[in-house]
Amino acid sequence: MQDPRIRIATAAILSISAFISLQGAAFAFFWWLGFTPAVQLVKKIRLVFPLLLTIAFFSLVLELFGGNGLSYFIRMTVIILIGIWLYKEQKPGEFLSISVWLFGDRFGFELGLVSEMGMQSLSLISADFKRIRLAEKIKGMRWGVRSLIPTGMILVHGTLARAQDSAELLAIRGYRSGGTLCPEFLTKPMDVVAGLFAVCVFFTAVIPVSEFFILYR
Amino acid sequence: MKISLNRAYAVRDHWSLLASGTFNQGVHLVSGDVGSGKSTLALMMAELFPLSSGRIEKAEITSCMLSLQFPELHLTGRSVAEECTSWGISADDIVVATGLTGRKDASPFSLSRGELKRLHLACIFAKDYDLLLLDEPFSSLDCQEKTKLCTTIEQKSRGITVIFTHEQNILPRVSRIWEILDGKLIDCGRPPDAFLHWCHVPPSVKRLTALGLRPDNISMEDLQEAACRIQG
Repeated sequence: MQDPRIRIATAAILSISAFISLQGAAFAFFWWLGFTPAVQLVKKIRLVFPLLLTIAFFSLVLELFGGNGLSYFIRMTVIILIGIWLYKEQKPGEFLSISVWLFGDRFGFELGLVSEMGMQSLSLISADFKRIRLAEKIKGMRWGVRSLIPTGMILVHGTLARAQDSAELLAIRGYRSGGTLCPEFLTKPMDVVAGLFAVCVFFTAVIPVSEFFILYR
Repeated sequence: MKISLNRAYAVRDHWSLLASGTFNQGVHLVSGDVGSGKSTLALMMAELFPLSSGRIEKAEITSCMLSLQFPELHLTGRSVAEECTSWGISADDIVVATGLTGRKDASPFSLSRGELKRLHLACIFAKDYDLLLLDEPFSSLDCQEKTKLCTTIEQKSRGITVIFTHEQNILPRVSRIWEILDGKLIDCGRPPDAFLHWCHVPPSVKRLTALGLRPDNISMEDLQEAACRIQG
């Protein structure tokens, strides 16, 4: 999906649909299968499986204590799949464009800049994490609970150091607040179709199935 | 003792590397532009990067160490002393050798990048590995420290040492030169003959060769010897 505005709105609509009802989750899942490179996404983002395991654990706890664990598991799984699609499709500069388009050159620019820096940090943290795992392997250390503290320290320290570098660089360049940007978006017909289908998914989530078949009563 | 790369092929998103050749005992230099694949080759040789095809065979190599470019990623100790212990060595000698006396209990995060690199390299060289892979060992070091590191590398009497770097000025004496060009590892041969077809030849070596004063090797001593050579 090319247009980030439609993409973000679609992800939000589908996530809400999946969260509010099982029916919505099922249709959102079909949307995800139909409009995204589903298998490739799951293959590329290995974090899917630990996330699903975590949800499975909490769902089991919920089920054991009288809640509807299975429904929770299905709904949250679909939300995660939608989130992964949104994360993978995101390109640098998109948050800045959307923020400026939504909120203007001052507040929108600030918000977009912070979002972009946050997204950049996420990818750098992910790359650092892989290198730290390799470094521990080189030292002959096994990954476990004891590795969490040094790993966390390196990641936090690295992120703070980079944030300070970025702040200093912005200050040196004379940045105070706001900025000028003319956001441009490419909207393809398929983006609109996918967006409309997401709206349909939302309606199926909020309107009971029986209402669809009212004419047949 | 040797490590042989037999059409070892690695692929990343839109990039690939094909490597063939045998690294025997001695010091090897692998040069290449930033992003050419030096770090990936180092990981491949350390068996930390999966090969898409081909194979890497090690003969008589019982211990291997890879030093990553960024020393902070190796940190696991909460103090300088703990960090040394995590490498299986005593902190006392290391802190003296790295000029960190009195900072044994300091957090490694309080050290500058250069100090951290010195500490990391000292820990690496405190043990004798059969295969030592050094990814950008000269980064974050000043000229004096780079020269010291060259001496340490040259003094290593046994094993295979492979230096992956784009450093062009201060380098140790090496037994073989390699380079990565267009996704392929190329064996340039032994110095000084390697200079003839080495694309990443350091400017000082190039200049001296152009003047008819071809140095025997790439170390500072070799360059000085060539520069002071009397012609005719």
